[in-house]
Amino acid sequence: MSESSNPLEIEYGIELDGLRVVRQASPAGAASFSASYVGPAGWGFDPSGLEGTARLVNQLITSAAGARDRVELARALDRAGATLSRQSAPESGEVTIWGPATGWERLLGILADVVLRPRFDPSDVARARRQIREVQLREATQPANRAERELWRTVFPDGHPYRESGLGSATSVDRIARADLVRFHRRHYTSGDAVLVVTAPARRPAVERAARRLFGTFAETRGPRLALPKVRAPAVATRSVDLPGRSQVEVRVGGASIARSAPEYPAAALANEILGGRPLLSRLFQRVREHGGLAYHASSSLEAMRFAGHWEVQAGTGADRYRKVLPMLREELDRLRTDTVGARELAAIRESAIGEIPLALESTSDAHELAVDVAYHRLAGDYWLRWPAALRAVRPVDVREAAEVAIDRRSSVTVLAGPLGSR
Amino acid sequence: MATTEADDTGWMRVIRERGSRPPMALPTVPRPRLTKFALPNGLSVVLAPEPLSPTTSVWVWYRVGSKNEWPGITGASHWVEHMLFEGSPRYKKGDIDRAVVSVGGELNAFTDTDFTAYFTTVPREHLSVPLDIESDRMTRALIADDEVARERTVIHSEREGNENWPEFRVEEELYQLAFRVHPYRWDALGRREDIERMTAEELRGYYRRFYGTRNAILVVAGGFDLAATSADVRHRFSPLPATGDDVRVAEVEPDQRGERRAELSGPGTTPYLQVGWRSPALHDPTTPATMVLDTLLGGESRLFAAGPGWGRGAREHPSARLYRALVDPGLAVRATSEWRPREYPSLFTVQALAARGVSLDRLEAKVEEVVDRLARTGPTAKEMEDVRTKVRRGAALSYEGASRTGFRLGYFSVLRSPEFEDKIYRAVLRTTAAEVKLRARELFRPAQRVVVRYEPIGGDRDE
Repeated sequence: MSESSNPLEIEYGIELDGLRVVRQASPAGAASFSASYVGPAGWGFDPSGLEGTARLVNQLITSAAGARDRVELARALDRAGATLSRQSAPESGEVTIWGPATGWERLLGILADVVLRPRFDPSDVARARRQIREVQLREATQPANRAERELWRTVFPDGHPYRESGLGSATSVDRIARADLVRFHRRHYTSGDAVLVVTAPARRPAVERAARRLFGTFAETRGPRLALPKVRAPAVATRSVDLPGRSQVEVRVGGASIARSAPEYPAAALANEILGGRPLLSRLFQRVREHGGLAYHASSSLEAMRFAGHWEVQAGTGADRYRKVLPMLREELDRLRTDTVGARELAAIRESAIGEIPLALESTSDAHELAVDVAYHRLAGDYWLRWPAALRAVRPVDVREAAEVAIDRRSSVTVLAGPLGSR
Repeated sequence: MATTEADDTGWMRVIRERGSRPPMALPTVPRPRLTKFALPNGLSVVLAPEPLSPTTSVWVWYRVGSKNEWPGITGASHWVEHMLFEGSPRYKKGDIDRAVVSVGGELNAFTDTDFTAYFTTVPREHLSVPLDIESDRMTRALIADDEVARERTVIHSEREGNENWPEFRVEEELYQLAFRVHPYRWDALGRREDIERMTAEELRGYYRRFYGTRNAILVVAGGFDLAATSADVRHRFSPLPATGDDVRVAEVEPDQRGERRAELSGPGTTPYLQVGWRSPALHDPTTPATMVLDTLLGGESRLFAAGPGWGRGAREHPSARLYRALVDPGLAVRATSEWRPREYPSLFTVQALAARGVSLDRLEAKVEEVVDRLARTGPTAKEMEDVRTKVRRGAALSYEGASRTGFRLGYFSVLRSPEFEDKIYRAVLRTTAAEVKLRARELFRPAQRVVVRYEPIGGDRDE
């Protein structure tokens, strides 16, 4: 079978007890290597009463693994010139290693150690617990964090994976024992429903051989299923959180949205870019910052995940200005749904989105993100090659219709957090 | 014509004069081959072609930053940074953004104490777009009254967003306390009162005085044809007038004769501490040893940190001394050090975020204990070997990608020169444990310590 040398073409290879091994060619001239494991280990799987478990496990597996305690693991990475990073999300847990391509098999071995053999040393557990408690406190009192927390707690019902930030509460985190962490790791860092994405200047057979050798010993091969309670219209449309003494009010408007695999995703993605997702060109940036001079940031995002998604509009502004900004955000949201976008505006945003694809091939880590995205969402290997055609097929009317489904203010929630009553 | 820049700094001479170390091959940081030249109007040009790169990154670094401001117009450099996106006779408001983003490019800018940098990365076939923009706004930005008025609120909003974080408030206070004369005493965002008051005329005057070819470095990195781009750069930038006043700072900060401290309180959840010590300028002979101290205490060096990002990451470093002394035993949830390369004497800082129930007194005492011990006993041979490994490995892949290459070349050019990177790299690798110990004794003197402590009002809350 021929192998692609184009990093935009992702190659699905063997499955090891359900673990899909995915290979991506390195960008031309790149000398680094990246590999990621992404498994069904998000905080949507947190056991009831033990909220915070998924994030603690995700943090701890990159601390110490196999024969290496945290100092030795850090030294091994330093000696290799490598870094480990981690990401915890509602649906998934991810660990990525980056380093020189010349030692890619050795680095893949470290990743395997981390994913398969974390130590959960008691001193590490205690430290991670202290750290997550501090982040919890910040989430409650920092305007931006607090606004996000209130938004998703109002949009999504109890038990929904997108409702929480995964931090848990002081009580739940204090209750998590080492055995709970070990149990969660065994059940959720599985081979089933997981992907191993390797971006390296190596041929597919070599990648597969290494994966077979290093990732063949998962304790659990079945991936767990995520429960998604039905999302109903929110009971509260606006929440205000007064945080005296802060300087800026954070404004959020958001709601539930579509999954990445939804047929209207390309049109919805463009709708978001038009609204506030495309820096500098978007309607929100232009209206609120460039013409209104009312805020430093005003943008939107669409998080279309594997099972469903959410959207939000965000702005940070002064306590004397948020009353002017909020109607603008709402008007632009409504306009997206009620008015058909002009062909010229759509073309500008679309060509910008297509034109930026080469920027993702600047370095291994940039290209790797594209591969992880495709592999995690189970998209076609040539997804990024076909992406320009998918965007060019979107008509102005498609954008409006997609906005009705994917970015609909009628069922949204507004949150204001900051010094609301102090001026 | 390509030239080689001589850049013999004081510390390099000192290192050579000692001459007692065994000979070793001169290591260099792996990076693309450079072509450098200067135009008659004073513009410095650095070209770094990477034939396989699908993108090209264009950077303009001005040796102008908040160091060039004065009371009343603090924040002017940052404000000018914003205004250079807001229109010229050729590019109306919004045209720059549209020209770059419409071809899939990205652009941004940032301001610090010693410099302001603008960058644009585009698919390689669109290189002419950023070159045209930069050649235009280097001297022809309008900075119109109505745009200044509108941007004032945006700048306010940016500052307010920062003020929401206790860390920003503490750092601003730390530098204000440490410096009484030198312009490093204000943050690059500027003082709130000056943002409120500054006029468009003052901003235009500041721009016309300092921004120009004599204070600028143009860096082009990534996929492009060297000969064609050299010619294009000369064609576009040579007609610009030779402008840009001397950006050297005349004010010299007097020696600090005793500890300075401040207690802040405000919204927040966790007590926070920053300790600073007066640290010499980048060109000082002790800089390599200071960089080693930063790596020993905080875990990595700002200039040579491994990772796919553009600089120092947010990673934890469990083998670093501050981490072992403060985070491991549960005194702090985060603790690190920071030394920033600066043109004039600045600060070496330690930051620590207290763990629940730990007082700032206890945290501060522990920080002192850590630095005192380092000053008394110096680093171990193993620690020195670990530092060298980190620096070597951190440098190894630091030039992957056109944007990153443009950033590093511009950064080192604005600090000194691209070759300066190799010199400081070698000097750090050759630094001995004895030099580090001596440096720690000189640096961590109580009389040149500045302490700012932040006590949150309301304390721990769980909502």
